[in-house]
Amino acid sequence: MKSVIVNPEKCIGCKQCEIACAVAHSQTKDLFGMLSEDVLSKPRIHIETGVDLLTFPNKCRHCNPAPCVEVCPTGALYRDDDTDSVVIDYGKCIACGMCAIACPFGIISFGKTYKILVDRDVNVKCDNCIDRQNEGLEPACVEACKTNALVFGDVNDIIKEKRKSVTLNVTKSPDEPEKVEIPANIQLWRDMLKEMNHANR
Amino acid sequence: MAKWKAEDKSIDEATQEMIRKAERDGVELVWDRLEKQQPQCGYGQLGVCCKNCMAGPCRIDPFGDGPQKGVCGATADTIVARTVDRMIAAGAAAHSDHGRHVVLALHEALEGNAPYPIKDEKKLRSVAKRLGVETEGRDAQEIAKDVVKIAFDDFGKQDEKLIHFADAYASEKRKEVWEKVGVSPRNIDREVVEIMHRTHIGVDHEPLSLIAQGLRASLGDGWGGSLIATELQDVLFGTPQISKSEANLGVLQEDKVNIIVHGHEPVMAEKVVEAAMDPEMIEYAKSKGAAGINLAGMCCTGLELLMRDNIPIAGNYLQQELAIVTGAVEAMIVDVQCIMPALVDVARCYHTKIIDTSPIASFPGATHIKFDESRADEIAREIVKTAIDNFKNRVQTKVRIPKGKSEAIGGFSVEATLEALGGSLAPLEDAIKSGKIRGIAGIVGCNNPKVKHNSNHIAIVNELIKNDILVIGTGCWATACAEYGIFLPEYAENAGEGLKAVCKALGIPPALNMGSCVDCSRMLVIADLMARDLGVDISDLPLVGSATEAMTEKAVSIGTYFVASGIYTHLGVVPPVMGSQEVINILTKGAMDLVGGAFFIEPNPVKAAKIMAEYIEKKRKALGI
Repeated sequence: MKSVIVNPEKCIGCKQCEIACAVAHSQTKDLFGMLSEDVLSKPRIHIETGVDLLTFPNKCRHCNPAPCVEVCPTGALYRDDDTDSVVIDYGKCIACGMCAIACPFGIISFGKTYKILVDRDVNVKCDNCIDRQNEGLEPACVEACKTNALVFGDVNDIIKEKRKSVTLNVTKSPDEPEKVEIPANIQLWRDMLKEMNHANR
Repeated sequence: MAKWKAEDKSIDEATQEMIRKAERDGVELVWDRLEKQQPQCGYGQLGVCCKNCMAGPCRIDPFGDGPQKGVCGATADTIVARTVDRMIAAGAAAHSDHGRHVVLALHEALEGNAPYPIKDEKKLRSVAKRLGVETEGRDAQEIAKDVVKIAFDDFGKQDEKLIHFADAYASEKRKEVWEKVGVSPRNIDREVVEIMHRTHIGVDHEPLSLIAQGLRASLGDGWGGSLIATELQDVLFGTPQISKSEANLGVLQEDKVNIIVHGHEPVMAEKVVEAAMDPEMIEYAKSKGAAGINLAGMCCTGLELLMRDNIPIAGNYLQQELAIVTGAVEAMIVDVQCIMPALVDVARCYHTKIIDTSPIASFPGATHIKFDESRADEIAREIVKTAIDNFKNRVQTKVRIPKGKSEAIGGFSVEATLEALGGSLAPLEDAIKSGKIRGIAGIVGCNNPKVKHNSNHIAIVNELIKNDILVIGTGCWATACAEYGIFLPEYAENAGEGLKAVCKALGIPPALNMGSCVDCSRMLVIADLMARDLGVDISDLPLVGSATEAMTEKAVSIGTYFVASGIYTHLGVVPPVMGSQEVINILTKGAMDLVGGAFFIEPNPVKAAKIMAEYIEKKRKALGI
């Protein structure tokens, strides 16, 4: 099963995934072209601030079974079997919002898309970039992320790496320091931000 | 996220009251905009984003897995060093261009083209003497012409020698350090230009040499542009003398035409003061139904006027929007630096007119009355008249002036400080030698909405004075202290026993207001004087610096020239350098070996004060006192 896996500790809130997502779902697929399209493309991944100014790239997890697909009364939401993605047939969407109510991650939003010629809002959630995937490309957000906060691949392979480092840490001698994933200067920076943020809230 | 409450945005009650009023009035403020900006880009915060060429923008993955070089091959170390350098360049440029405007005003006055008489001939003669200008038997005009020529030369000379002002003001020991390290500024403008050159694609990539050029440009600011601004403003408008005034939003008056002068350069503001005090103008205000004219300052212009003319100051950087929110300000006159373009939007919700006056600073939506030194009096009167004419548009139901204000003693120029001490620094130096005063901390301004307004400023002063460290400072820090009652002799009750006794004996507050942010040069002059008296270098003295709520590029330049002058300097806000361990090492350690000063970063003001106190004790030990 291929999926976009999030390493939140590596997200530095640059929002480049948001821009790349909007470009990938625009008509021209071009940053400068996008800005002059009739329907302005919007990001389907969301970087919001949490505790201590830390950020988390929140996007559709493409659950299976997916609560949104289960509750969709018109069958607008369905599963693309090739990419295991939850996608939407915009024409069938009646914007009832049931999917947004059911979604456990709060990532469904409504808006306009150039893909249908009606002047109404529809579910414009993440479609796992199936067009790009069909061309052999990674989802746009993953390609844009230079810190590997977002990675794309077989979930088991990606998790295996994490498992390995956990194994190393629990088997090491208590005298050895823990294997640190975050460079010291970045950890220091985060600690300082935390200090500043706590001082004025 | 939990709602960000007014009491968490500022420690000041008057400010909190106006933040709540703004919320009721539906006015967006700086804190709202900061929230909307979250999350702020981590690349930018770490300094690893490079936009210096069109092959970019490039960014370096701080976690080490993604790209480690820009398109040209620049590493995080190079990019961070260039980022810092360009901040220093901008800060030095801002101060120094301000300095240039003062020289130009004096020049125009001497040519008979502008109505600026020399107000302080004594100061002129002392500046001239320092610069080696002949003063015996010559009149002020002649002397001033020579001083102007030297100042112009510091902005334009092309030789490799140290600028004249730095040469005349800094002690031999310090100049030797600069010479040895190769950071003597040769020309105020040239060092800024050279930073722009070095940081252009494909020029200097070595973090150390880039930072060294940053030190050089900052010295051109501290011992050049800023120093020239301070000294010649004193000549034109008078050297500040110790005197009392008031600070905070409560200085606004309900029955008068309230005019706020905001920005940095007294060349314009002093003329507005004259116009606002003109009996004819006051009569005009009365004819429009007001009880008179109430002129107040804001930010560094406010401090310039408070220092020289006892004009009350309505607030510091984070209070500029709130002054308008009172609904009682007829006009806010602005020139340059630290003026939020958002003022125009805030003013749209009330009747306030924002009047921009600088030919180099226009604000969309503002009233433009551009200042021209040759017609200074006429323009100042036009500005004041515009404010008076706006009095009738005030909406009474929207007016609410908070009560909060405090008395504050200001005016501690070097000259006034020496006079208060009986003519020399000896009483202060004796107190330091005996240990009654452990050392001196110089603090410079800024507010930053990322820090609870004024909280670091006040917390750090309280900690320092408790440890018998005398505090001097400028800028938004000074306004914060003025609002909090720290600039009153009785505040010495909060100091340690030693400092308290000294303050009582001299009748001074435990913290001294030395003026606006260009007046940080006054702190350098004091430090230099003390070093000469004790026969040591500045870096040997028990001195520390701090920018506790740093925000501007000017603060980066000031901090850097403190460091390059041999002073250990604290930053309370994380600057965009954390993306490079090498640059962090240069700024926090390497600089100490080179110039005898370095930075340390600590967001917690209490911890910072402790580190400062420890450093002071280390220096005392080395001096054997």
